[in-house]
Amino acid sequence: MRRQVPLILCFVFGVVMMLTQFSPHSFSQGIYEEVLSWALIISPFMLVLGTVTLIQTHVARIRRRTEHWQYSFIIFAGILLMVVIGIPFGPQHPIFVWLFNNVQVPMDATMFSLLAFFIASAAYRAFRARTFEASLLLVTALIVMLGNVPIGDLFWNTVLSGLPWDNGLSDTKQWILDNPNLSARRGIILGVSLGAISQSIRILLGIERSYLGGGD
Amino acid sequence: MLEKLMDIDRRIIFILVVLAVIIPTLLPINLPISVSAPTRQLHDYINALPAGSTIMLAFDYGPASLAELNPMAKALLKQCFDKDVRVIGITLAPEGTAMGSTLIQEIADETGAIDGEDYVFLGYRPGEELVILGMGSDIASVFETDYNGKPLADIPMMTNVTNYDQISLLIDLASGSSTEIWITYANVRYNLQIAAGVTGVIISQMYPYLQTGQLIGLISGIAGAAEYETLLDAPAKGILWINIESFVHLLIAGLVVIGNIAFFVQRRKEE
Repeated sequence: MRRQVPLILCFVFGVVMMLTQFSPHSFSQGIYEEVLSWALIISPFMLVLGTVTLIQTHVARIRRRTEHWQYSFIIFAGILLMVVIGIPFGPQHPIFVWLFNNVQVPMDATMFSLLAFFIASAAYRAFRARTFEASLLLVTALIVMLGNVPIGDLFWNTVLSGLPWDNGLSDTKQWILDNPNLSARRGIILGVSLGAISQSIRILLGIERSYLGGGD
Repeated sequence: MLEKLMDIDRRIIFILVVLAVIIPTLLPINLPISVSAPTRQLHDYINALPAGSTIMLAFDYGPASLAELNPMAKALLKQCFDKDVRVIGITLAPEGTAMGSTLIQEIADETGAIDGEDYVFLGYRPGEELVILGMGSDIASVFETDYNGKPLADIPMMTNVTNYDQISLLIDLASGSSTEIWITYANVRYNLQIAAGVTGVIISQMYPYLQTGQLIGLISGIAGAAEYETLLDAPAKGILWINIESFVHLLIAGLVVIGNIAFFVQRRKEE
């Protein structure tokens, strides 16, 4: 019964919501609006669920003394601090805004900025033209990388000024994005969409039950 | 020598990256910027909007991506306020609230735009797809108040705006998959015109939607922000940072070429 009720709810709501997409009748649209309102009310509980799961995970880490377990206390301190200020005073309170602008923004930006160093180092070590495919990837990457910044065209238009066309690097980059890239992306989108449709049908019919948790 | 070159200490590469960032920052370098077609399309679309039109600007990114997306947000807001196009700011990312409200306020102060008349910031609601679908029926059913807690009914510019029918364009500033969600739910179901400003790493994902016309324009990373500032003739951080990025790209390209030359010479020696 614990599994049958969610499966029935999933099937009924899934089919009803699917049918509302095909009927502009006011009754059908009324159901759509109503279910949407319910869903909007339920969706904030995802945040609660996420927070509870995060706390459970880190409590377990501390209990088991897994590697770097001490850092879990920093997570709790961060959550507690933001909640203590954010909930009673709101997200526009000067201390909340100060913490965001002076703690979260620099930390996030720093984490992302580090990528530039690692990418430079990794590109130097790993980007080798060992095979035909690797060479193709390498040449394409260099064209897109240099075609995406103004220095690429400056180089092309000055050093290679004898060539019959201007802005060759950015034009070639644009051609790569417009043609091979677009074709490959469209193939991926079609594949993913077909997969999503098939997965949705499996969930509606109760064949795919992993979202219920546990085994089965 | 070659072995040393191929096994160079990564700290030397890190120092080279630091120098490639610091030196162009200190020197007044102005590289010529050519504007790509997708950026120009968005610029021209906003320029063609009649005064008094309303657009929506979604700040769907966090602090990690602000270096790329804040310059384009500022340029877009400046263009809209100068053209008397009203802006509704929202975000599908919780971190986007502080950044979105601060940015709009900053540009409004510069241009003299008035809160509630020329712009409104609605803030964040959880449930991405549901928020998009809900606003298609009635914006007030999702955002009863703006970010400051003022009821939507009391905001002058919202009196004639109930759903996407009164919105001329949505611009999604994104560092993740939010643009695709906007296209799937707002463009396909409600026929809302959509454009995007995205970080460099997701540019390639946007091209199928540009080709189908589901995106009417695209600002691509910091290069796109610099192009937009060039179109507005309002140089700011986008142009400064693309000059810096140029040298970092050049450095990485140079490192890749040097690494491959060393690799080929060594392989020939071994043969």
